[in-house]
Amino acid sequence: MKNLKKDCFNPFFSHIYVEKSVRNHARAQKILAEFPSAEIIEISYYKDVFCRSRQSHPIQHRTQKLILAARQGTLLYEGAPVCQSFGNQYFYYVSCAMNCIFDCEYCYLKGMYPSANIVVFVNLEDIFAAVEQMLEKHPLYLCVSYDTDLLALEHIIGYAQEWCLFAARHENLKIEIRTKCANRSFARSVVPLPGVIYAFTLSPQAVIEAFEHHTPSLTERLSCAGEMMRAGCPVRLCFDPMVYVPDWKQHYEAMLAQVCRMIDMERIVDVSVGTFRISQDYLKNMRRQEPDSAVIWFPFQRKDGYCHYPNDLMEQMECFLTEQLEEKISREKIFRWRM
Amino acid sequence: MVYIFTALYCEAQIFIRQFKLVKNQENTWLQEFYNESAEIRLAVIGVGEIAAAAAVGSICALYRPAPGDLLVNVGICAHTAKNDGIFLCSKIIENATGKTFYPDMLYRHNFCEGTLVTGMLPWNGENAAPAGNLYDMEAAAVYQAGSRFFGPHQMIFLKIVSDHGAVGEVSRERVLHLMEKYQDCVLDYIGQTAAITQTGSCRRNSPHQEEERLVETICADLHCSKAMRDSVRHMIRYLTLAKIDYVSVIQDMYEKKLLPCKDKREGKLRFEEFKERLF
Repeated sequence: MKNLKKDCFNPFFSHIYVEKSVRNHARAQKILAEFPSAEIIEISYYKDVFCRSRQSHPIQHRTQKLILAARQGTLLYEGAPVCQSFGNQYFYYVSCAMNCIFDCEYCYLKGMYPSANIVVFVNLEDIFAAVEQMLEKHPLYLCVSYDTDLLALEHIIGYAQEWCLFAARHENLKIEIRTKCANRSFARSVVPLPGVIYAFTLSPQAVIEAFEHHTPSLTERLSCAGEMMRAGCPVRLCFDPMVYVPDWKQHYEAMLAQVCRMIDMERIVDVSVGTFRISQDYLKNMRRQEPDSAVIWFPFQRKDGYCHYPNDLMEQMECFLTEQLEEKISREKIFRWRM
Repeated sequence: MVYIFTALYCEAQIFIRQFKLVKNQENTWLQEFYNESAEIRLAVIGVGEIAAAAAVGSICALYRPAPGDLLVNVGICAHTAKNDGIFLCSKIIENATGKTFYPDMLYRHNFCEGTLVTGMLPWNGENAAPAGNLYDMEAAAVYQAGSRFFGPHQMIFLKIVSDHGAVGEVSRERVLHLMEKYQDCVLDYIGQTAAITQTGSCRRNSPHQEEERLVETICADLHCSKAMRDSVRHMIRYLTLAKIDYVSVIQDMYEKKLLPCKDKREGKLRFEEFKERLF
């Protein structure tokens, strides 16, 4: 048992749960080949593992397991009211993977899902078919990396690349790949496509250190975003969620100064600005899971089932950043989320 | 606290001896042993799913396990091929219903891992071979009853192979021998897993006595209603977690005679003022 003393937790993806129906699926086989020493546990349905009662997010996050499954039922969802549509009329998102390898204390996934383990749906072809069906009716703005961080999982599942190839074949499809990742190898090999927007979520380094565990630093994220822009990729910067910390003004000012030093602001597609807000039900779950997390124990205001910072503070924070951004880019490129 | 459940007394003996457990004489419906200082409670739950579920449910309802507690089910089992070995179960199938249960596999260990089938009757080697490679008569029931009180990260199922279908040959002496053979690795694993779980739980639920005293004083001086008291408590919780120096603001309010307040109306104003000074 000497291993237990030294490093008590199993390594990430030490166990992979695989739905029987996808065991021989090509994507499942490819992913499993990445983990030759993992214990493979066959399951009937991913929810048998993912939706067990009384799971602990903080403990599972120390040693996340991978679940390979087939997505059934609804494959495309309409964008939620708390999400920014960037002026797109047909705003949808897909969930080809659930949960994230990063461990941000304020992440809504912790309130939405009963488990911290990662589910990857290997039947991406079915999602593509559903998207194509919708594209026959109207154009589509599709967020493919909402319930996960696809670029952070790219070396294992390669889905960002698959989405890029798919988007390249469909002119009336615009996809957003949102990330906190600094996947330099992806950035170096990326083929720029006008219909694929890479959206980097940015926070001051103090916020990253306090709440966004295991994520790349601000410098790393900006450097990756810069590299992708230089390669010709459309890049969006998301100052969303803005998180309250004492001295937030100084931190956000310093962050913006660094952004302007490292990024050619004239070449970015757009930016989003929004303070932290979350469904009341998710927040309740998160507080139960994380009783010692300052960021989610903030005394929020409630409105229509959503929790947000007090109106004054929300206004102050968003106006501050928006005004600063207006000095760097045109107003039309700034999308501020409003209740 | 570690709750150990074994089907047989001879499976429990290594724990009773090692942890110096004493019998709870007040418990007359099942054999229960404990050592409060070692934080171990053991129950001999009997053979079969119904006996196991009843006993686990009864013990857990009585003692109300905490988030840092562990449930451990240890005992002998059959194996479809092997005659020996110890297994940590990663999947448990209830034979009667086909339901499956998955304890979290969180910690490093040196055991083999396996799928365990729980049946109503002993596996005699002549029945159709069970879907898994291990076979017992309690684990699925222990999991189901235990899951009312424990999360999957708090449940451990360790099974020692006693036979491969020749249940009649498994004597009390053989069970004792097998338990003793594996006792070091079992005790080591339980001890260290319990320590990790307990440490995590203490860190997460550390008492905030000083904070609570302060909340009580402020609430009294603000003449808080129940709803306002909850708001104050929440605010202080947040300020403590965020390491914001609210104590000096409160002290300053006392020095300026803004606190204590004369009534609830003034209390509301002062609380708003307190928030404004902090944000």
